[in-house]
Amino acid sequence: MMQRIQNMNNKLMAILVLIGILILAYFMNQTGDQSLVYIWFIGCFVGFVLQRSRFCFASAFRDLFLFGTSKTLKGILIGLLVATIGFVIIMSKEIPFPSFGGVPGQAHILPLGLSTIVGGISFGFGMVISGGCVSGSLYRLAEGYIASAVTLFGIMIGLALLFFSWNWWWDRIISYEPQIWLPEYLGYGFSLVITLLILFGLFVLVIWIESRSSISFPDLKENEFNDTFKSRLETIFHSIFVRGWSPLIGGAMLGGLGVLLYMVHMPLGVTGELGRWVTITVSTIGITLPELKGLSDLGGCSGQSSESGIFGHTFAVTVGVIAGSLFAAMGSHEFKLRFPREKRRYIQALIGGIIMGYGAGLAIGCTIGAFFSSIPSLSLSGWLFGISLAIGAFFGVKIIKKLA
Amino acid sequence: MKLDVRGEVCPFPMMKAVEAMGKLKGSEEVVVITDHSPCLETIPPQAPKYGYEVDIKETGKPEWTITLIPKGELNEK
Repeated sequence: MMQRIQNMNNKLMAILVLIGILILAYFMNQTGDQSLVYIWFIGCFVGFVLQRSRFCFASAFRDLFLFGTSKTLKGILIGLLVATIGFVIIMSKEIPFPSFGGVPGQAHILPLGLSTIVGGISFGFGMVISGGCVSGSLYRLAEGYIASAVTLFGIMIGLALLFFSWNWWWDRIISYEPQIWLPEYLGYGFSLVITLLILFGLFVLVIWIESRSSISFPDLKENEFNDTFKSRLETIFHSIFVRGWSPLIGGAMLGGLGVLLYMVHMPLGVTGELGRWVTITVSTIGITLPELKGLSDLGGCSGQSSESGIFGHTFAVTVGVIAGSLFAAMGSHEFKLRFPREKRRYIQALIGGIIMGYGAGLAIGCTIGAFFSSIPSLSLSGWLFGISLAIGAFFGVKIIKKLA
Repeated sequence: MKLDVRGEVCPFPMMKAVEAMGKLKGSEEVVVITDHSPCLETIPPQAPKYGYEVDIKETGKPEWTITLIPKGELNEK
């Protein structure tokens, strides 16, 4: 009986969240910015997909070193493949002749150099220590994980620290770094083919690593198939809203949603809004942030974060991710307030978050903005950030093994 | 052996499960109780490596009991 009431509450909550999403959409529509509503719905959808497929970038990099398996990494590679094809179509409309100079304005073509490496390594290290990257912590927050709230707080401290040291990085390092956009040198066709080949090669490599670690995926019992219309509908409903999705499907859908979002305005990124909250919080306390040199011209997640008002485009994405995953978590009965049992997990979440936040600020994006949206933008920085993430995760795993 | 890892998140539940399977080497079953859904994806693939089979039961919302059974015992039940 109690269980039934609990179930009812969850479904009711899911419906309330959905109504909340629609009410916010109405207010966004009132601002007169047409694209805001589209971005809001795409953001919600991204959150829904992240929660349903338990899409964890941290585990993608970590588990390969820890256990020699990573289904999510394969999902990421599929997502990158989908997004790259879509991004090329959009970019080639904006810049038909890339060799003549000029780059697509919204694409995530970020500085390439020491800042990418240091940012990537600290991000990869921090996400493994804290247990989730920025997007992962956002949807886990919506699932009721208190440690993820601590991680997000840490990320914001890390971003604040970066803002105060940004000009140091800019004067000495970032202002000298190139932004390398592959089509400028190779044309679209060649850049696309190379990117797809590398993605395919990496996919095979992951399978090879899995086969070496003698991991196998046992067949688990599925629901009995019952051949009536009602039970078919129930099965479909159950497989969408209740049972977890394969990360491979999640990855493909995230890639597609990234393309849609880019069509509306900009590629997917979730850190920009957190940076905006840091700026607002810091100035509310009465501390003046130094003027961040060159940052607004660099694009990526930072370029959007200077918007004023509550309902910016970055707000729609980041808050949309939380709202969408809250809906998904309620619908699948996976919402529960969860407090870590061991006190040291809070410290881990905070310190990991700070290191990760600093890295996200330095690389101008997280696993989504500087990686998942940057490689499809055919920016060389996306690959360097990805390699650096893996290196950071490798060192994070060394620490994590001691903390188990 | 019973592992109550409720409240723990990735990768610790599976690290503990793997450690337990490695230590017991099939002499005893391992019962993992978790409220972290990713465990359903991460723990089962580790089982065959240590000579275990997997049985998952949903025992709450959200809560699962993952029973790791030494190979051979699954059919007898």
